[in-house]
Amino acid sequence: MNDPLPLAAGSPSWDWLIQDDRVHRTIYTDPSIFAREMNNIFAATWVYLLHESELPEPGDFRRAWMGTRELIVTRDEARALHVFANRCSHRGATVCREPGGKASSFTCPYHGWKYDNRGQLFGIPGKTAYGAEFKARDMHLARPAQVASYKGFVFATLNPDAPPLETHLGAAAPFLDEWIEHQGGADNIMVGGAQRFHLECNWKMVFDNAGDGYHVPFSHQSLLQMTNARYGGGDMSYFADADRSRMKLYALGNGHTVIDQRPDMYGNSAWEQQRPQPGREVFEAHVRATVADADAKRVLESAVGAGMNLNIFPNLLLIGNQIQVVQPLNAGGTTMHWHATRRRDADDALNTMRMRTQEDFPIMGEMDDAGNFEECHRGLVNFPEDEWIDISRHHETGQDVADEEGRIVGPVTSELHLRAYYAQWKRLMAAEPTLRASKSRIAR
Amino acid sequence: MKNDTATAASAAPRYQPASNYVDDAFYGWLNEVSLDLDAVTTQRTGRPDAALAAEIERLLTVESRLLDQHAYAEWLDLYTPECAYWIPATRPAGDPRAQITLEFHDRRRLLDRVARLGTGLAYSQLPASRTARQLSGLEIWASPGRSDEWRVRCNFLMAESRAGKRRVLGGWYGFVVRRVGDALRLAFKQVNLLDPDEPQGNNSFFL
Repeated sequence: MNDPLPLAAGSPSWDWLIQDDRVHRTIYTDPSIFAREMNNIFAATWVYLLHESELPEPGDFRRAWMGTRELIVTRDEARALHVFANRCSHRGATVCREPGGKASSFTCPYHGWKYDNRGQLFGIPGKTAYGAEFKARDMHLARPAQVASYKGFVFATLNPDAPPLETHLGAAAPFLDEWIEHQGGADNIMVGGAQRFHLECNWKMVFDNAGDGYHVPFSHQSLLQMTNARYGGGDMSYFADADRSRMKLYALGNGHTVIDQRPDMYGNSAWEQQRPQPGREVFEAHVRATVADADAKRVLESAVGAGMNLNIFPNLLLIGNQIQVVQPLNAGGTTMHWHATRRRDADDALNTMRMRTQEDFPIMGEMDDAGNFEECHRGLVNFPEDEWIDISRHHETGQDVADEEGRIVGPVTSELHLRAYYAQWKRLMAAEPTLRASKSRIAR
Repeated sequence: MKNDTATAASAAPRYQPASNYVDDAFYGWLNEVSLDLDAVTTQRTGRPDAALAAEIERLLTVESRLLDQHAYAEWLDLYTPECAYWIPATRPAGDPRAQITLEFHDRRRLLDRVARLGTGLAYSQLPASRTARQLSGLEIWASPGRSDEWRVRCNFLMAESRAGKRRVLGGWYGFVVRRVGDALRLAFKQVNLLDPDEPQGNNSFFL
């Protein structure tokens, strides 16, 4: 717990902390590095907030986070989205104490200052007690420098110099498009609730694993053995000899990566290799009775995950049909939000099946991942003299290859994912970004 | 010949036990039970006599103890073949057809979970959680229009210790208890945590 502070005078450089094939333990354990991450990463680059379908109606709102900064996201009466800090301009109290709901205004419980659902101050009790200097100040709720939506995925950054969101997404955008296409298009996605988990580990333990095709036969051995014993194999068994599989890992630039499971998962039939979920037989019979033979496979497979683990740095993970969001709390604490998705065009039977499918891996697999993340963190804390985390798998085999589109493609068990996102992490952490929030009046 | 391997494969005994009961009517019944269990009322009609109440209470005590003992095969034997185990992700519970749950299992997926824990390689349960459940405030009433089925609601507190960490989980359980031959069996268990919408810890055992 008494880590040296690497950012103190004469401290190690970012190049020393982040090397090509290993990274230093303090980037996971040091509170001063975590504090810098909250500015240089979770404010200075685009951070995912929520999906637009979570605010379907005018007046809807929900809390969201950029790292440790708490925000309120609203949809106003003109259907425009607004993002502002949950922090009263007066003395700092949070103005919203609910996780979400419907509100045309937010009244600070402390002294009754009133803000509309665009975060604009419109009422101060006893206003005559304030003078000209106060009235000249911008006292609306603080808004991030940039907010943008990519096909329903809403991001924000405090950095006015951050490149446009589409530029930031870069080569990840085509994969995101394919994920959206698996859901039947951008307007077809509806978030259907969330599972939330608290992990006693640094947030990067979660991100490390999001592009790790190496751990599956070991971390999830219990699941693979059970599936094999009860059903003769299926679901993820293609990870057993992953380096010889057809799956690929892509580094997409700006810290984004994807594991593309589709060549194996969808090689024959993704529905057939799925572990049986509650209601499987009823659903399959329903589809075969109501859908033309030619379309049955497609409908059955839309109950199954999209077959990719798409990791948008730093906090958005598209896994199966879930939208997973990483919320760092402190150097040793993280909350994960696993948002389930439904399809607007689907009947109840399909959406029900999607719920049962999306509940499967959390209890069958992610619990074991979470256990390992927490034990990784404990290991890093409990023996400081052992300083390094090795991320060199396939670094020296020459199998990570740049393709014609500027991506790097490697075997699915390569630690290319870590090397790629740490390059971006280092670049951001070494920078001195401008962070800006505006409290001015919104132009109508 | 119709080249439909999908139909052939799912008709084969690959997925056993078959789970044909989780249909729309079953979900509708679960929702009706869920609303009834959580109804604000001072009058429950169809209260059991003392002997039956004691028998149901014994069943719940055994159910809790078998979970505390990690005796999952014996635990599952207390359930009817066409059972459900549901941990809503919201409070009050929503419709599991439209909303993700923390867990929703038919018997087959309960068997999957028991088998997975039984491999000895489920790292979230290495070491296993030690638990002690306390049930209180038991209410029992007959399912409407039935003489062989009862609904039960009670509060629970569960002390848990795992790998040197202690927690207390709390909330209320809802059950459907059914007379099957000479025995009472559980057809449904709903676990309503105090905070299912807040981030959860390692609940990879059975609640």
